[in-house]
Amino acid sequence: MRLLPRLFLRRAFIFSLLLALAAASSEGQAAAQFPPDWTNALGLLADKIAAVTKRGEGLSVEVKNISSLSAADVDGLRQLLVTDLSRRNRRVLTESSADAALQVTFSESADGYVWIAQILGGDKENVVMVSVAAPNHRASTKEAPLTLHRKLIWEQDAKILDFGILGEGTAGGSSTLIVLDTDKLSFYRSEDKGWKLARAVDLPHGRAAQRDVRGRLDLQAGKAELPGAECTGDFQHPETVTCSSITTTADPETPRQPIAIQGRSVQDYAVLAGTCGDDSLTLASGTGDWTEPDFIQAYGGRNPSAASQPIQVPGPVLELRRNDGGKSARVVSRNLKTGVYEASIVSVSCDD
Amino acid sequence: MKLRLCLCLATISVVLAGAAPLPPARRPHYGGTLRVEIGATLQSLDPAGVATSREEADAKAELDALLYDQRGEDGTFVGTAGSGPFRLSSWEAGKRATFAANQDYREGRPFVDSIEIQLGRPAHDRVVDLELNKTDFATIPPEQARQATDRGVRVSVSQPNELLALVFLGSRSGKESTRIREAIARCIDRAAIVNFILQKEGEPAGGLLPHWSSGTTFLFPTEMDVRTAKEIWSQISPSPYLVLGYDSTDTLEQSVAERIVVNAKEAGISSVSRALPASGKASPGQVDGSTRGAAIRVDARLVRLRMPSPLPRISLTVFINRLEPIAGIVDSPVPQSASPEDVYYCERSIMNSGLVVPIVWMPQVYGLSARVRDWKQPAAGEGWPLADVWLDSTDPQ
Repeated sequence: MRLLPRLFLRRAFIFSLLLALAAASSEGQAAAQFPPDWTNALGLLADKIAAVTKRGEGLSVEVKNISSLSAADVDGLRQLLVTDLSRRNRRVLTESSADAALQVTFSESADGYVWIAQILGGDKENVVMVSVAAPNHRASTKEAPLTLHRKLIWEQDAKILDFGILGEGTAGGSSTLIVLDTDKLSFYRSEDKGWKLARAVDLPHGRAAQRDVRGRLDLQAGKAELPGAECTGDFQHPETVTCSSITTTADPETPRQPIAIQGRSVQDYAVLAGTCGDDSLTLASGTGDWTEPDFIQAYGGRNPSAASQPIQVPGPVLELRRNDGGKSARVVSRNLKTGVYEASIVSVSCDD
Repeated sequence: MKLRLCLCLATISVVLAGAAPLPPARRPHYGGTLRVEIGATLQSLDPAGVATSREEADAKAELDALLYDQRGEDGTFVGTAGSGPFRLSSWEAGKRATFAANQDYREGRPFVDSIEIQLGRPAHDRVVDLELNKTDFATIPPEQARQATDRGVRVSVSQPNELLALVFLGSRSGKESTRIREAIARCIDRAAIVNFILQKEGEPAGGLLPHWSSGTTFLFPTEMDVRTAKEIWSQISPSPYLVLGYDSTDTLEQSVAERIVVNAKEAGISSVSRALPASGKASPGQVDGSTRGAAIRVDARLVRLRMPSPLPRISLTVFINRLEPIAGIVDSPVPQSASPEDVYYCERSIMNSGLVVPIVWMPQVYGLSARVRDWKQPAAGEGWPLADVWLDSTDPQ
């Protein structure tokens, strides 16, 4: 008989421990899904709420989302806020038993997210808020019979004219990423799953600025060309590369005949070698202005028809060129959300 | 598998663009003349010249942005005319102007060779010319945007970035005045103004900043509350007779002022709307306090405030500076490092004073011909990006 209460106490303790662990784990999961600046901002919001409420005060919490946050994110953030408030000795209760109502609104401004808490109750209304930078969203790809994949290689503020990778896939050797922009030719060595600047060669100044300047890299020949300037050397050895002014101001891009795809004239396209036992495929971008998001799609056949689902690009595709070997294409685009220029490789995979 | 077979059988070939008419290419190209029509009858582009109306001041600022490369700290253009993307090549005061592309422009010469600007075209004629493809680019009053769209005009609408507000002149003070202002603010049917006068091209305004900029507009109510307005008004003795002023050259302001008078009457408030001389010195976001102490007695007047920046802190600072001479708002400046919370409390303090009664947020509306490509809506505070646009065919059809 004397054992029973002891057994009960032990079981109750284990049960409480399990509950606490479960709560901590779910809180940890919620926190883990968010960037640190979000969790810090939420902590700051909890501090501010605590500053205008009393210790031990019961709050009913209502959450509203008028931002681009997903419902799942909002649920997770609510859960975290409730935990943060509990840590600050504020109890979250139902509306009927609460001392004050806490209305939390996840909003968005020109600067980023704004998370606002209104404490309703008593004579005056208190409003506290925190701001959080909104993350950039990346485009997702869709499933298709032939699937296109876009791999982002590099992004930067300056306009990318062309890029290329030397030594990719070679055993033991490191790869070199070469980026030609309007001001310089840069060489990056692959290092720790990233790219580290090895050398940047400035292009000669005094060239007339052009609004739609185009440039081209020839990796095998070790040559970069753009109107008014040229760089030459062994691209495997960046220290040998020099850039100089040239008199020609012509567009180095070889004029190409436009092609007709599904009734529209396409000037920018890349013809890839047959990847899936087929004949060649043509990759082309959309028809919109350079003010709109874009897409890349593969077309095949004598009268080209769609051979893949389009992959979305979060801004206009500015350059679309076949890579050496013809297995993939290099794409320069401008992300309209962030304003940065993106260099990516688009390749094709086969569905069996 | 079917697709694979199809691809195997077919040899992909490049089909050259042939005789059949095809939609245009998308890579920008140079050349052509962009035809622009504006309503203002500008007499001079002299930087020291004074515009005689808000419309003129707005148009001058846009044209200056094409001619000058840099702005001074106060937002006015500085440097040499022609340092911008275009140079003035001909000028006929009040009638037309021609701008030529600046070959040496810092950011590269514009795509179009020139811009021909026809001045003094009324709004209705501008829409008709867009419809008939006689012009490539024209501003459209927001209240006419829907009609223009219905008529097949290609219309580009910005985020709402211009506030129309009723501003009480700072001469009255005391508890009574606070009640008067509150009664007026509560009786206005903003939703009706947006739906019927602006033809749904706008948003009811409860604060000094739009939602897309501050994210806090839901904290400022916009609902009409006639019952409370009546109650407040009944406590004021003797009931004053309010005069609401509007710019005599602005038909939208006139319609809104008349609508407010009707709303006020429903709440038992005696008021009248009165046309005021155009506020000549006004520039985007500016208002003219010249009616204070003038022969025409006015208790409040409608003003337009255009955002100089998408950032809430900057816009609020400029609005406060420009409202101060009219309404006598005394508020500490918004600090450089102001947080969204600081901006909100600053805005809240102005709203609590009741001196400014926001009515509606309006967008900027532009009509474009089909051959104009790469047009991107300018953000709040930016000029028309005409250096970036190009023409799909250089000859107008």
